[in-house]
Amino acid sequence: MTLKIIGGLLVISASGLLGLLFSNRLSLRYRELEKLRRLMQMLETEVTYGATPLPAALCSISKKSEGLISNFFINISKCLSERSFYTVREAWNESSELILTQSSLKKADIELIKSFGNILGSSDREDQKKHFQLFYLQLKHQEDAAIEEIKRSAKMYRSLGFLLGIAVFVVFA
Amino acid sequence: MKDDIKILEVLEYLPKHISAMIMKLPEKVLTDMEEIRLRLTKPICLSGSGAEIFIAGQDGSYLVNEDDLKCALQLICNYSMYSVEEELRNGFITINGGHRVGLCGRTVVDNGKVKTLKDISYMNFRVAKQIIGASDKIIEHLIRSPDSIYNTLIISPPQCGKTTLLRDLVRTLSDGRKDMLFKGMKISLVDERSEIAACSMGIPKNDVGIRTDVLDGCPKAEGIIMMIRSMSPDIVATDEIGRTEDADAITAAVNAGVNVITTIHGSNITDFIKKQDLNRIQKGVFERYVEQKKWRRNS
Repeated sequence: MTLKIIGGLLVISASGLLGLLFSNRLSLRYRELEKLRRLMQMLETEVTYGATPLPAALCSISKKSEGLISNFFINISKCLSERSFYTVREAWNESSELILTQSSLKKADIELIKSFGNILGSSDREDQKKHFQLFYLQLKHQEDAAIEEIKRSAKMYRSLGFLLGIAVFVVFA
Repeated sequence: MKDDIKILEVLEYLPKHISAMIMKLPEKVLTDMEEIRLRLTKPICLSGSGAEIFIAGQDGSYLVNEDDLKCALQLICNYSMYSVEEELRNGFITINGGHRVGLCGRTVVDNGKVKTLKDISYMNFRVAKQIIGASDKIIEHLIRSPDSIYNTLIISPPQCGKTTLLRDLVRTLSDGRKDMLFKGMKISLVDERSEIAACSMGIPKNDVGIRTDVLDGCPKAEGIIMMIRSMSPDIVATDEIGRTEDADAITAAVNAGVNVITTIHGSNITDFIKKQDLNRIQKGVFERYVEQKKWRRNS
């Protein structure tokens, strides 16, 4: 009998954890978007206030953080300072393909980020500032969508995990 | 050999296929080159020491296309157009090593002032050379006593080595000359276009002497006043004066008991006297004039 209870507890907690894991992955997207926003704001300051050239600016902001998003910026900075590409857009796209696709970001998020590469560095400070503002607005949409998704699905995944565990226990016990 | 390296620095700012074509030239020719010109739909042209060379590609001559210019522009401004706003307005960008890239295309005018350049279709890469000892011949004329100098104006047409001469003067006056019993003086160098000291990230790439403070990228008129207040210089050195504000700032410096060395475009002293904007400093401010002529120096 005790063996049964221990086994049952194991099954329930395992599937419960699985549910937690799934819901966690959902919030990961939101956290990555948030981090992206923070780094982009730093980049905006570097660009519009400091007028720092991109390779240096990207390198310095990426040092203030870690993880995939930060690697994304490091990679662009490296591409540019090594002159592997002749335009920011190419380096930006390449890095998006290479690094952001490994993250929890959705395709729409990545497309939005990619589109910003067309503009970055290509105009004067005033214009860059406007584009940054526009980017934040668009990013907000994605963040809202991410939150919405968390609200909708995270709870479901969590309870689903536990319920599944209990169901398995009931059926097999 | 050292000069040879100089032109290699400039080639880094050109698209790879173009720099490869230029690299095929013999080393001796490369050493002499002072300018590389790109013109849309025209062949690449190198010139220097009185010679002119058009670059031929694999099949006959190579014509510069739009992509080449766009790509070169990206490299020159380090992929960041926003960081060269002011430079674009002036029509040239200074790159690593103090080399100057002149740009020309269509101007965008706002309120009667040039706002920016677009459709850039002409580029001129000018190789900057530091010639140690360029000022040796004239230095004795400029020293008044072991710890002071005459206010000096260098007058010269473009491309005769004004900046080179000024740079070497600054270096010599800052280090001092034992053989002339001249102690070094504190020099504030206002380097509006990063040409004299060729600063990169705040570090001068050219030797400008041990007692020199460099204010990099600052407009001259403001910079002169800033330096007088902050660094207590004996000499203020700056390049290419021309506007009324510059004249005012120089007057202020001289009145503050600071010596001034500066340069101006022109072929002789008469040209300088004719400049309306500078009438405030035409009488009595400068005590020594240096005129430069092509391939020959007079003092």
